[in-house]
Amino acid sequence: MHHAREAKITSPITTLKDSSAKMVPICFIVGVIGIIAAFFLLRVNDEGFTLTDIGRFSYSYLTSFCYILTICLGCLFFVTILHLTRAGWGVTVRRVAELYAACLFPLLILFLPIVIPVLLGSDAVYSWNQVGWSVHGEEKAAVVAAADHLPPLEELKEGYLNWWFFPLRTLIYFSVWGMMSWFFLRTSLKQDQTGDKSLSLKMQAWSAPLMIMFAATITFASFDYEMSLAPLWFSTMFPVYIFAGAFLSALATITLTCLMLQRSGRVTDEITIEHYHDLAKLMFAFVFFWGYIAFSQFMLIWYANIPEETFWFAWRINSETGSWTGWQLMSLVLLFGHLIIPFLGLMARTVRRSKPFLFFASIYILVVHWIDHYWIIMPQAFEHHEFTFTGLQMFGDIACAVGLIGLFLAIFFLISGDKPLVPLKDPRLGECLNHHNP
Amino acid sequence: MSDRNENTNAHEGPDQRFVGLLAQFEDPHTLVAACDAARQAGYVKMDAYTPFPVHGIDPAIGIRRTILPFIVLAIAFGGCFAGLAMQFYVNNDISTLGLFPGYEFKISGKPYFSLPANIPVTFEVIVLSSAFATFLGMWALNGLPRLANPLHRISRFKRVTNDKFFLMIEDKDEHFDRSRTEGELKEWGASFIEECNEDLTDHKLPAWVRTAGVMVAFLCLLPPLVVFRMSGMTNRAPRMHVVPDMDWQHKNKTQTVSPNFAPIGTPDYLFADGRAMRAPIPGTIARGNLVDDSEYFYGVQEGSPIAVVPKSGLFTGTNAVEQDDPPAAPADGAAAAKELDWVTTFPDRVTVDEALLQKGRERFEVYCSVCHGYSGNGDGLVNQRALALAASGNSAWTAAKSLHDPEVKNNDKNPVGRIFDTISNGRSSMGPYKDQISIDDRWAIVAYVKALQSTGIEPESTVADAKAKE
Repeated sequence: MHHAREAKITSPITTLKDSSAKMVPICFIVGVIGIIAAFFLLRVNDEGFTLTDIGRFSYSYLTSFCYILTICLGCLFFVTILHLTRAGWGVTVRRVAELYAACLFPLLILFLPIVIPVLLGSDAVYSWNQVGWSVHGEEKAAVVAAADHLPPLEELKEGYLNWWFFPLRTLIYFSVWGMMSWFFLRTSLKQDQTGDKSLSLKMQAWSAPLMIMFAATITFASFDYEMSLAPLWFSTMFPVYIFAGAFLSALATITLTCLMLQRSGRVTDEITIEHYHDLAKLMFAFVFFWGYIAFSQFMLIWYANIPEETFWFAWRINSETGSWTGWQLMSLVLLFGHLIIPFLGLMARTVRRSKPFLFFASIYILVVHWIDHYWIIMPQAFEHHEFTFTGLQMFGDIACAVGLIGLFLAIFFLISGDKPLVPLKDPRLGECLNHHNP
Repeated sequence: MSDRNENTNAHEGPDQRFVGLLAQFEDPHTLVAACDAARQAGYVKMDAYTPFPVHGIDPAIGIRRTILPFIVLAIAFGGCFAGLAMQFYVNNDISTLGLFPGYEFKISGKPYFSLPANIPVTFEVIVLSSAFATFLGMWALNGLPRLANPLHRISRFKRVTNDKFFLMIEDKDEHFDRSRTEGELKEWGASFIEECNEDLTDHKLPAWVRTAGVMVAFLCLLPPLVVFRMSGMTNRAPRMHVVPDMDWQHKNKTQTVSPNFAPIGTPDYLFADGRAMRAPIPGTIARGNLVDDSEYFYGVQEGSPIAVVPKSGLFTGTNAVEQDDPPAAPADGAAAAKELDWVTTFPDRVTVDEALLQKGRERFEVYCSVCHGYSGNGDGLVNQRALALAASGNSAWTAAKSLHDPEVKNNDKNPVGRIFDTISNGRSSMGPYKDQISIDDRWAIVAYVKALQSTGIEPESTVADAKAKE
């Protein structure tokens, strides 16, 4: 027999006030060390140490940046969809997502190492960024042969992929995201003070148009940041693929954050196993949604077998020599590690209601999802798209990921600071605290 | 209403059996509390009935979690396997396993069995089998379908779909004691308590229902009987078109005018030349038309010019690809044939074995024996008749060659490649057969002709000459 809980915050500690002052410098220092380490480690190639080639490091940086960016975007989506659906169950976990989403605009600073070279005309990462750019090799041959009655695709795409429009779009995306996340966080914090119920209605009313803006921006951002690395390739399903991974990794991040907060004695009463159960159910669904979209994208291109589309997958799943390539192995890692294992692992109700298991599962999903971005971005970084991988570069990639996550967490702790980690006076707080899964 | 209820329930006779006590509660919280109390009091055989799902009632009443998910999971795995196996079976020739073969049906040039193409179907089979397992498993675990439930005899119970909450404790429960249980239920907050009785009157179907059933079953036999009868009859009425758009499809047939729905010059205008048929895209070759092996396709060595039949008459269009630009095409095919570099052994693609010779014999007897005779002596029926006609001066006829003629038999003059070419393109008065006989079959005939020639049969003329000498 359940007794209805009062709609009241009862946890002794509901902020990060005591630790954020300590965590910001730690995370910042770890971040700077990681980036510097990666910067040097990733310049060692076959010819020894080189200072001129910035490309390899930039690709690695872009991988980890896109990984963090999509996590924050997934959190923004989570906040928006909770308001859009008038969800009561997720009130107490919403604030964590709001705080992560609020990191989106400051993330623009971390994107500068990619945008500024583009503005300066560097084609180290985005090969379309040079006058009269063209693509060589099999990719070019396939596309040219298929479309010789059209002007060259380079000319057609020049109006979109160029040195000034790309940074301008970046500014638009981050402004939209910043505005959205700022609106939700500010309104929610205001409600903490006043308990005004109309603020919930206001957020709900705005969530619909904001959701449309979110969909538009994440679509074009995924075209720009990840798909345009192979500028002649196109797949209209690609943004959905990125979105599926974004929401999945965001759910893992929210779950992990809540678990860590509770482990450190914060918000212990407000987030119950029922909320973890719901987060895990969504995670389970989006593990499969990710696989569904990834497979749909692959299957349609594989089946149609049109050269101007297939080359992108050919880099990743074909082997010219007959022996296994690194990308092939990584594709299998994704198939099993990102789809089959977590799908079967999260299937049972008992594991979805077990905090230790969810702790492990969240970390696991966050790791394999980083591999997903690596798999999308890195094949463009290597000559002939071959998997050439040395131990130093592996450490470089990991150092880069650790470094960027460190800087990102510094931003997170800076923003969350003294803000409450749960909404204090949300009108649906009672519904959330009394939420039970059947 | 309640009075009548009391009356019917109070009546206990030989045609009724007491099943248990039904308690009505006014709100879900009281019901959950009562369930909790009943479970703690030791009752096991009981059930709660509510208008909507009530959170927390499962643990209150002591219901264990259902095993349905595991049943569904097992059947879903089975569906996964069945879906894959089905596709493997229908797309592959598995007659080697002693089973009926499937259809080796090439689709979009994909392998007969390739996982990416098979996953969508497998996925749908998993979904379908899971849905059935969930639905039917739920029925089975709940003991459904159940046509009658004694609870429905209590009119107060009707409000279970509206606004009342019920708890039923069964007589079968070991802990059950009628008066004590009734007191406990009252204590737990029941607003009404009623006895539940099972109707023991005759459950047999009324006689007329049985008669009607037999009649309906009999009537159901009529349509198949009519179909059976009609299948053996002739009928002048035009056939029915059950699926008209399958019988009259919107498609362009060969040698027809292209249907143009848009005005000339607009982008939607279909096929400006007004023809429904399209020329192949330049640089492409239709499936199965790739000629990449001159030994196999023409019987000549690699790099040698091929024997080309001069364009004449109707049939020259059939091999347009090779004739568009004939390499050094001679005006006289026969004269040029000597210069050609014939293959002297069978091409790599042809394996000469007993099966090939059997096939060659069969094809030879179909296509060649009418003129050349079964043993290759040139005494086929057509030849005999034509010679007879020619002898009476009614027609001209060049006698079919005996395959045992030393000239024909001479391996230098007639290597396998030249025989293949003779069958394909004809020689002097013999016509070409490449449109009737497939390439594989032509090579089989070549092999059989070579075998015939090595049997040592003497050509008739030689025998006749020898007899004349004697």
